[in-house]
Amino acid sequence: MQGSARRMGVMTDVHRRFLQLLMTHGVLEERDVKRMQKHCYKVHDRNATVDKLEDFINNINSVLESLYIEIKRGVTEDDGRPIYALVNLATTSVSKMATDFAENELDLFRKALELIIDSESGFASSTNILNLVDQLKGKKMKKKEAEQVLQKFVQNKWLIEKEGEFTLHGRAILEMEQYIRETYPDAVKICNICHSLLIQGQSCETCGIRMHLPCVAKYFRLNAEPRCPHCNDYWPHEIPEVFDPEKEREPGISKSNRKSLRSRRH
Amino acid sequence: MSEQSKDLSDPNFAAEAASSEVQSSPGVPGGVPPSATLAEPQSPPLGPTAAPQAVPPPQAPSDEEDPKALLEAAEEGRAHQAPSAAQPGPAPPAPAQLVQKAHELMWYVLVKDQKKMIIWFPDMVKDVIGSYKKWCRSILRRTSLILARVFGLHLRLTSFHTMEFALVKALDPEELDRVALSNRMPMTGLLLMILSLIYVKGRGARESAVWNVLRILGLRPWKKHSTFGDVRKLITEEFVQQNYLKYQRVPYVEPPEYEFFWGSRASREITKMQIMEFLARVFKKDPQAWPSRYREALEEARALREANPADHCPHNSVSED
Repeated sequence: MQGSARRMGVMTDVHRRFLQLLMTHGVLEERDVKRMQKHCYKVHDRNATVDKLEDFINNINSVLESLYIEIKRGVTEDDGRPIYALVNLATTSVSKMATDFAENELDLFRKALELIIDSESGFASSTNILNLVDQLKGKKMKKKEAEQVLQKFVQNKWLIEKEGEFTLHGRAILEMEQYIRETYPDAVKICNICHSLLIQGQSCETCGIRMHLPCVAKYFRLNAEPRCPHCNDYWPHEIPEVFDPEKEREPGISKSNRKSLRSRRH
Repeated sequence: MSEQSKDLSDPNFAAEAASSEVQSSPGVPGGVPPSATLAEPQSPPLGPTAAPQAVPPPQAPSDEEDPKALLEAAEEGRAHQAPSAAQPGPAPPAPAQLVQKAHELMWYVLVKDQKKMIIWFPDMVKDVIGSYKKWCRSILRRTSLILARVFGLHLRLTSFHTMEFALVKALDPEELDRVALSNRMPMTGLLLMILSLIYVKGRGARESAVWNVLRILGLRPWKKHSTFGDVRKLITEEFVQQNYLKYQRVPYVEPPEYEFFWGSRASREITKMQIMEFLARVFKKDPQAWPSRYREALEEARALREANPADHCPHNSVSED
C-alpha cells in the first residue's frame, strides 16, 4: 500500500466524524458541509481554528487516496450549487449502486442513463424509459413496478424528475462521471468551459459547442453581448444568474426560525 | 398521560416542527444515526500503511464474540452448501489483491450502512470477497482496521446467530449529530417524534395519535409529501423494516386499529436520554418537565455506564450545560 508519510494528512476525530457524517448523508450542499465541519470541530476540538474547507477536505483526501475513495466537489447543473459527496473511485461501474438494487433495477437505471446521455436536452421521458422494460436483464419487470423503481432512484438522489422527465442527479454525475465517459465515449457531451461531463446545458446553434448553465453564468457574467467562445456567433440563450451562496441563505426560513436556531445553541 | 400528550400539541412544537419541515435537507434521507453508547477506546491514529495482517483489530475486551470463531463456523457452514469445499485451495493471492478486497469491503459496508441495510456476512462473501473467501479473516481484519482508523467506526458483529454486522461509532462523545445539525434531517426528526410520543406515553402509540402529531407538521396519511414522499408507507413499512418501529394490530379492537412501538434497532441505537434531549430542544423545556421519563432516562444512562466502565462521560451535547 502506498501513502508515503510526507504526503499523508493526519486524521483526527474531527475528520473522522466529518467523514462519518458525509457518508451518512450521501451528498451535501456546500453550506451544509461547512456547518457540518464546524459541528465536528465543536464536538472534538472546540478551541482549534476551523480549517478552510478546501484545505480540510484536501487533508482528508490525502488519507483516502490509498483507499481509492475521495470527497468530490461538484456543481449542480441546473443552478450551480456546489455539492460534495464521498465517492468510490475504484468501482467505476453502475454496480456501485449494486448493494441497493436488484439486477433488473440496475439495468433499468442503465437504460435510463443511456437515454439521458443520448438525448439533446439531457432529459429522458418516463414513457421512453418504461418502453424499454421488456429488455431488462434479470427478473421480468412490469411498467408499474418500473415507475416505482424510478421513484426510488429519485429518492436516493440518483435521478431528478421534472415534469415526467428524468435526468441525472448531481450526485450521480459526481459518482459516475468517469464510468460514463469510459462507457459512452462517443455519445458523451462535454462542457466547452470546464471540460467536465455535461448532461444539461446550453449549446451554440451555429457550431454546436455546449456549456453548463453555471458555466454560462460565470463566463458571460456582466457581458452585455454574449458570444460563443468557439465560433463567436451571438449566444442566443438566456444567461442565468451566478449562484450566490449569500443570497441563498435558507429561503424557506423566516426570522423567527433563525431565532429559534440561535436559542437552541446555548 | 393526557397532560403529556398535551405537551406534544404545544404550539411551540408546531412552530419548531414547521421549521424543520421547511428546512428539508438536500442530503440523502438517512434515518437515525447509529449512535451506540458502547464504550470503545479510541483507536490511535495508525501510520499510513495499515498494520500487517498479524496485528489484531483494536477492539475493546468487551466485544461479544470472537470474529475468528464466527468466521470458522461460517466457513464450515458454507462448506456444507458449497460443493467446492473439498477442492485444493488456489495459490495465495498477492497482498495487494487482499488489500484491494479490503477496500472494496470497506466501501460495501459503508454503503450498506448508509442505506440502513443489514450487513450480512454471507452477503459480504457473495458480493465482495468471492473467490478470496479463504482469506476472509484477514480481509475482514484489514477492513476493520481501516474503518476504525479513517472513519472512527467499528465493524462489530451484532449477532452471532444471524451473522449480522453493524457499523458502530467509536468516537466519544456520542450525540445525535443529525439533530444537532439544526433539523436538517427530516427523516430523523420524523422518527424521533414518533419515538418520543411512544416513550412519553409509556406504552404503544395508536396510529391515530401518531397522525395527530404528524398533522401538526402538515403530514397526512393520504398526502404525498415533497420530502418524505408517502409518509404512511415510510412509517408503517420502511421504518418497520429497518427495525426502528414496530407496527402491530391492537388486540381485541374492532374495527382494526394499529399501534406503534419502539423497534429493536431504536432500542439499541437511541437512548432515553437522547429522547429527553430531543423533547427538551423541541419544546424548549427542561427535560425534567417530564419527571418520570427523565428518571427512567437517568437510570438507563446509569445502567449503561455501569455496563461499560471504560466510557467516560463529559457529554458535549449542545443541550447540556
